[in-house]
Amino acid sequence: MKKVYLLLLFLLVLGLPASFCQPPEVMMDSCAAAAGEDATYLKDFVVILPAATDQNNPPIARFPLVLSKSNIYRFSICNSRESGGMAVMKLYDSNRMIFSSYNENSGEEFNPFNFMCQKTGIYHVFISFEDGKPGQAVGILSYVTK
Amino acid sequence: MVLILFIFLFNYLQIIPAMITRIFLVFLLAGLMACQSNKRKLDAGDFEVSDSVAEAAALRVSEEAMEEIVQNVSSPIEMAALIKELGVPFSTKYLATTRHADDYNSNFQMALNLGVFGADLGYLNMYSKTSQVTDYLTAINKLADGIKVGQFFDFTTLKRLATNNENIDSLLYISVSSFNNMDDYLRENNRGHLSALMISGIWIEGLYLVTQVADAKSDPLLTDRIGEQKINLNNILLILNNYTSQSGFAEFIALMNELKAVYNEIEITYEIGEPETKEMNGMVMIVQNEKSIVHITEDQLKNITAKTKEIRNKLTSI
Repeated sequence: MKKVYLLLLFLLVLGLPASFCQPPEVMMDSCAAAAGEDATYLKDFVVILPAATDQNNPPIARFPLVLSKSNIYRFSICNSRESGGMAVMKLYDSNRMIFSSYNENSGEEFNPFNFMCQKTGIYHVFISFEDGKPGQAVGILSYVTK
Repeated sequence: MVLILFIFLFNYLQIIPAMITRIFLVFLLAGLMACQSNKRKLDAGDFEVSDSVAEAAALRVSEEAMEEIVQNVSSPIEMAALIKELGVPFSTKYLATTRHADDYNSNFQMALNLGVFGADLGYLNMYSKTSQVTDYLTAINKLADGIKVGQFFDFTTLKRLATNNENIDSLLYISVSSFNNMDDYLRENNRGHLSALMISGIWIEGLYLVTQVADAKSDPLLTDRIGEQKINLNNILLILNNYTSQSGFAEFIALMNELKAVYNEIEITYEIGEPETKEMNGMVMIVQNEKSIVHITEDQLKNITAKTKEIRNKLTSI
C-alpha cells in the first residue's frame, strides 16, 4: 500500500511546477500563435509584476522599441493562469499614449489591437495589471501581412 | 494550495504517513524554487512609474534604454516582408555567401555575420525558400556555437521544418525567437558588444537587401524605408560607441560613420495629426496620423546604395 501512496505522491510532485507557474516560453508560444494567421512574430515582452504597494503608483514594465512607417503592427497580451488581475498593454509614442488594450471607463478590452504606423521612431510598450494586482504576462509584437 | 490542504487532510486522517507528508513538502518547495528560476529575463527593464508621469512628460531615454531600443531596430523580417509585399521576385544574388562561414574566426566576425545570415534567413523564410534555408541554418548554427549562444538556436527543429517543407509559420517563429533569445542572453551576460554586432549585422544586411532591390526596381515605399534608416543608424552608432575599446570596433564605427555622413544629407520632417481608431475585420486598428516624411534625392539614394554595398561586402569578406 505504501508503494501506491509513494507513486501517487511522485506523480503529484511531478505535476506541481506546471500547476504553480507557467514557463514564459510556453506562454510566449501560445500567445504568439494566438496573434493570428496574418501576423508574424517579431518580439516578446515577458513580465512578472508584484502587487502594488501604493494604488496610485502600480508597478509597470516598460519596453522601448522602434516601429517603422507603413507597417501594421499587432499588439497582443496574454495573462498567466495565476495572475491576480488582467494585464493591460499600452502603446506610447515619445510623450503620449496612443492606445490601451483596456478602457478603464467602459471596461472594454481590445486585445489584440493593430497599429498602422506612419512615423518611424521610438515607441514604448507599458504593461501593468489592472488595479495593481500581481501577475505574470507576455506581450507579443507581430508584423501584420497586408 | 488546494494540494497542500489535500495532503494535510489525508495526513490528519492518518491515510498518509507523516514521513510522506514531509517528503511531499520538500518536493513542493523544490517545485516552487524551480518555478522562480524561470524568471531569467522577466525582471529586466521592469521599474515602477505612475501612468500620470508617463502621460504628462516626455520620456527621457537613458543610455540603458537606448541599448534596448537598438535590440528592436533591425528585424530580419520587416525589410524582407516589405520587398515581398511589393511583388519583387526572390533572388539569391542578394544573399551573402555562406562559403566563408568556417573562416570567420574572431568573435567580432562571428557575431556580425551571425546577424548578416539572420537577415538572409528572414528573407529566405519570407519567400518560403526552404530548400536554400539549410545552408544558412548550418552557417548560423556554427557562428552561434562560436560565440557560445548555440544553445538558443534550435538547429534540429529548424532543419527538420526546412527539409520537410513543413509549417513555414513555425520556421519563421522559431528563427526570430532564436535570435531574440541569443540577443537577450548576450546582453544579460555582459556581452553586449556581441549583441550590438549581431544587431548591426542584421541591420546592414537588411539595408543592403532593400537598397539592391530599390536599385533594380524603384518604388517610393522602398525609398522611404531606406531614408528612414537614418534614425536607426543613429541609434546603432550610439550603442556601438559604448564599445570602442573592444577589438574591431574602432574600424567598424569608422565605416558606419562614413554611411552616417551620407545619411546626414537626408532630411526627415514631421506632420502632426491625431490618431484615429477604426474597426477592420473585427479588430481595432489605430491609424497614426502623425507622419514622418523623408526628403531624399536620387543622388543621395545612389550614394547610400553604394556605401551600404561597400560596407556590407567588406564585413562579409574574410
